[in-house]
Amino acid sequence: MEIGLIGQPNAGKSALFTKLTGIGAISSNYPGTTVEFQEGSVLRNGVRLNFHDLPGTYSLTGVTEDELVATRLLAERQLQVVVAVADATRLEQSLVLIFQLIELGFKVVVALNQMDVARKRCSLDARRLQEVLGVPVVPTVAITGEGVEQLVDVLVTSDYPISGFEVRYDRHIEALLRGLCVDPDCRTGKFPKRGALLKLLEGNQFFSEQFSNEFKWKAQEATAEFKQDHGEDIEVHIHRDRYGEAGRIANEVISNRVPPRRISERVSDATLRPQTGIPILVAVLGGIFLIIVFVGGFLEGALLSLYHRVVGDFFTELAEWIGGPLGQAIASGIDLSLQAILAIVIPYIMLFYLMLGLMEDTGYLPRVVVLLDGVMHRIGLHGRAVIPMIVGMGCNVPAILATRVLESKRERIILAIVIVIAVPCSAQTAVIIGTVGTFAGAIWAFGIYAILIAILLVLGRLLHKVLKFEPTSLAMEIPDLTMPHPRNVIWKTWSRTRDFFVVAFPILLIGSIVLEILMAYGVLQAFVEPLAPFTEGFLGLPPITIIALIFGILRKEMGLQLLVVLFGTADLSLVMTPEQLFIFALIMATYMPCLSALAVLSREFGWKDALKITLASVTIAFALGGLANALFQMF
Amino acid sequence: MSSEIAEEYLEAVYDLTLDGGTAKTNDIAERMRVSPASATEMVQRLSAEGYLSYERYKGANLTDKGEKVARRIKRKHRLVERFLVDVLGAKREEFHDEACRLEHVISDESERRICQMTNNPRFCPDGEPIPECEDGDCSMCRDRPSLPLMEMREGQSGEITHLRCEDAGRIKRLISMGFVPGRSVTLEERVPLGGPLLVRLQECRVALAKEYAELVMVQTGPAPGRQPRSKEKASG
Repeated sequence: MEIGLIGQPNAGKSALFTKLTGIGAISSNYPGTTVEFQEGSVLRNGVRLNFHDLPGTYSLTGVTEDELVATRLLAERQLQVVVAVADATRLEQSLVLIFQLIELGFKVVVALNQMDVARKRCSLDARRLQEVLGVPVVPTVAITGEGVEQLVDVLVTSDYPISGFEVRYDRHIEALLRGLCVDPDCRTGKFPKRGALLKLLEGNQFFSEQFSNEFKWKAQEATAEFKQDHGEDIEVHIHRDRYGEAGRIANEVISNRVPPRRISERVSDATLRPQTGIPILVAVLGGIFLIIVFVGGFLEGALLSLYHRVVGDFFTELAEWIGGPLGQAIASGIDLSLQAILAIVIPYIMLFYLMLGLMEDTGYLPRVVVLLDGVMHRIGLHGRAVIPMIVGMGCNVPAILATRVLESKRERIILAIVIVIAVPCSAQTAVIIGTVGTFAGAIWAFGIYAILIAILLVLGRLLHKVLKFEPTSLAMEIPDLTMPHPRNVIWKTWSRTRDFFVVAFPILLIGSIVLEILMAYGVLQAFVEPLAPFTEGFLGLPPITIIALIFGILRKEMGLQLLVVLFGTADLSLVMTPEQLFIFALIMATYMPCLSALAVLSREFGWKDALKITLASVTIAFALGGLANALFQMF
Repeated sequence: MSSEIAEEYLEAVYDLTLDGGTAKTNDIAERMRVSPASATEMVQRLSAEGYLSYERYKGANLTDKGEKVARRIKRKHRLVERFLVDVLGAKREEFHDEACRLEHVISDESERRICQMTNNPRFCPDGEPIPECEDGDCSMCRDRPSLPLMEMREGQSGEITHLRCEDAGRIKRLISMGFVPGRSVTLEERVPLGGPLLVRLQECRVALAKEYAELVMVQTGPAPGRQPRSKEKASG
């Protein structure tokens, strides 16, 4: 049985999905859509229940990408049942979505979620709600699993009728619907006419495509006439009536409301109120940065020493077994890739995801977005862009994936460029701290961060001028703060890290081996002499550093280690001046995306845009390096 | 003089002078179904009270004062029609006569509410234009203003009246978030540095950028510290 799971954002849909399907959920990334959605199945009483987790959506008006994807999936998948995950604490809003599902003729089962929170605030008569709506209503608490069994039982028995519930619309709308229904051109396929027509009148893109052009014109005429008469768009009026109905039903089933004034509510307020919220925000972000640097650093050391102990001489033996410089190259290529996983992915990226998951599940992330929205707008970005930027401090690969939180492709590209160029990932941070920070002093390192922030500001503004784009404005619901559920957070962390393994690791592995082979056959060294005028003359760096810069294409933090190898000393201050270290770190910090990031860029935006972004970042990096050198020469 | 009759006369003159010209007493008499003599007498009285400018042999015109009253009555009439048809579902034959009676007795407050309930309609069910309220732009709601959410004070609550926007995408975004006429909102907080507004929308809390907050029109409770406008009563 194919079952769709739909609900407004923060209704606990994902938690319910996890509970319904268990850990073994099959996650898939559907091409062509920017919004991820998941499938999972479970066997119950000999019935296979296939759950489709649809993107969170408030309504099926089809305006945001999420809503469009949700409508499309609802229409195209052969769903026998739709589980509407309703939020008992925001019943009205949930009802509006349920109305639309019923109108479209779906067999609906309501999972009345967040009942634990709702019970503290009011008494909610689920049975009465079931009577009014004419669909099964199962109270649930997804995070603890309460009610999930009952929900599955209801789904398995599936002996419930399609609801006859109808929202009563304004007389004009009803007359309009009646008129259009009898039109011979009104063909709505498997959908009930009333529901499909309402969607057409609301201007849902997906449903508009189902009607013939002549019929659409008729409907357009009617809506224009309606607007003339009422001075209000028909979609506004339709929603007004839906909310009116939802309000009536909510009043009927909810009683004994208690004003929610508990500790968590007060904490919630404090994180949101600007006076207290901004200091808390600074503390939280600073804390995350420190945890990543220190705990990540500790983990890296521990994991690498463990790795060396476990691996022992394996790779030396492997090199000998294959033989020659080629063997050496392949062995060390694999070796270095594995080390990268242990040195970067697990300590920094996984740790980062863990914290991101915590921020999400507590409901803190929306607060970050809200508090920084104004600032982000000044640099031509949407408040939500904060999230990918924070992610980008860990690794660009998931950051580029995270740009999906934005609505338009344009915004996503702007954000991706800003992240690639101006947000230092953990590898770039390692280079900055490891070169200038260690050997030239903290002031120099701060200088680099200051330059990055300046680039961020200028680049953001510039791009949205050049691309002629005004960022879309924020309209986002802020959930209350809640206790995160460990299992959910861990599951999220894992499924995101897996993304990194799948996308980035193969590239890392092959790239490492290729570069090692180039090194082994002296191909890279051949670049040193011819490029010396550029390296030495323009950038003011020792010629040999070009190899480290080329290596930076693959892995930024390797650039640092390579410098050590190339110069044969761990104390870089002996071989490079502070100015040179500064220039080197500056180039590395703004330099092109590493191969893994490049792969994700081209997967998300197409190779043309990925190439443009790469060229832009290389140009900026070298221009900055050259400029810095010129300035140092002058003064 | 009964104000109702005076209002009927002013309404008649209003209709007759819509196309420019002057209202002849004979035409007025015909419309009011009275003798020309009584019509003339009434016109003279209204002229003496400053509602009409009347010249013998030429006819009557509304003065500014008279036009104000006539427009308001006309407006009440057509709004009531709209209400009877849209809300109560009255039939075509019924609503006109009933509106004729109600137009004189309905209070300005009810007129305002009907106007809001029917979404500030511009035409009556017969397609005749509904005169705008005095300064256009719903100025008579000034004592209980409908203002953009953006301009509300922190802590102020109100009810959404309409969305002031032509962009379908933005309207849809707002309505799908629940910014729908009739729902109540409270402006809780403004985030500094050009940040969004924190809004309580019934059971939910929403962050709304100022670009959106400009579009949501809200009718707040009677604003303290603002004197209710002294209302000009219709004649009588």
